[in-house]
Amino acid sequence: MGKSLHLLSQSELVFAIKSNESDVLKHFYTTNYKKIEVLILKNSGSVEHAKDIYQDAFITVWTHVKNDKFTPKNDTALQGYLYTIAKNKWTDVLRSKSFKNSKSLDYEALTFVKDEEQNKNEDLENNKLKIAMLAFKNLGQPCKQLLSTFYFDKKSLKDIASELQIEETTARNKKYRCMEKLRAMVLASK
Amino acid sequence: MLKDNSDISKELLEIIERYINGSMTTQELKDFNQLLELDDDFKIKVADIKTMLTGIETQSLKEQLDEFHEDIPKTFIKKSVDKTVRYLNLSKMAAAAAIIIAVGSIWFFSTPENEKLYTNYFKPDPGLPTTMSSTDNFDFYDAMVKYKHGDYNIAIEKWQALVERKPENDTLNYFLGVAHLANKNVIDAIPFLERTVQSKDTFPLINDAHYYLGLAYLKEGNTELARIHIGLSNTNDAKELILKLTD
Repeated sequence: MGKSLHLLSQSELVFAIKSNESDVLKHFYTTNYKKIEVLILKNSGSVEHAKDIYQDAFITVWTHVKNDKFTPKNDTALQGYLYTIAKNKWTDVLRSKSFKNSKSLDYEALTFVKDEEQNKNEDLENNKLKIAMLAFKNLGQPCKQLLSTFYFDKKSLKDIASELQIEETTARNKKYRCMEKLRAMVLASK
Repeated sequence: MLKDNSDISKELLEIIERYINGSMTTQELKDFNQLLELDDDFKIKVADIKTMLTGIETQSLKEQLDEFHEDIPKTFIKKSVDKTVRYLNLSKMAAAAAIIIAVGSIWFFSTPENEKLYTNYFKPDPGLPTTMSSTDNFDFYDAMVKYKHGDYNIAIEKWQALVERKPENDTLNYFLGVAHLANKNVIDAIPFLERTVQSKDTFPLINDAHYYLGLAYLKEGNTELARIHIGLSNTNDAKELILKLTD
């Protein structure tokens, strides 16, 4: 019965988020969605808006936790933080021109809103990150799988190698080649 | 391979990675920082690698979120719990342990199965006897009195203040959990009950804690976790309910 599954103290939760423990991320994701859906549905949004905003907010919280930009101060701080971020994002969308005009939320509307509020430096960083994300998205499946298992799931090369039934050195070389491929794609799109 | 001149060897890449994930020794880190200061190109390379790693992680997460999303229980339209909760039965509070006699009649209206089971099986915990006059525990029992009167918000507020000083206290976590449940706030109840069940199993109300946690998950629509926790409880209601959940 997954003891680790349930994120008790906030510090455990922070630790689990930083290590991308899938079970914990999933639990955190699924148990906090409802409140935000209710909020958005009550405020002229649709279920699709709720999902987009929530996922966007979730990634923001995850990023902030990873970079120690947010440290929880009480028992439900992270949950509250997620809610606040989603709420703010939704408020921004509601205020944005494109939403007022069309009442439909497309990706442009969301990015537009985000860009408005950020300073240039952050924009630049964000842009670089977007490029990297896109490149990774389009990377071939085997490489994608390998890099994701290593960098996101944080599995050791040894474990990866034994799963793929290859030598550890081979896995290490593959990982390097995949990174080179990804770097080439990133550099090409600059 | 790369059109750019920014070739990075495998070894260098691994060193940079160790710098980024913070697994360098103090000496290595010192050398590395020196290099960063001296060589601007190198600094840019490191920053670029860092962005790439963040990109890999962020995109990986993003691609998982849709999967997570499918596991969110669908919204329940009816809130049929409302009534039952009000029937706070203040009768004899035996050892707080024993709970509930299930409502026998099952009605098949439009309410989802889980919701229906929850409504049938959920009765607030009767609380602890409050005859004690020990001054240490005054605040605790003061809140208990409120709880028994159905003033859940006040009880929660008082217990919350106590639990902040003693986050590990099973009894406090347990009653905060059941008070949130009685207050129809399943989402806030879960973390407290989770904390209770993860404590040593010498906690006298452990069976009730599993039972209520299971009910909370049931209400949340997570039948799998509901089954696990209800299965771990040996109360009569749990034994009865588990049969309904397994068929």
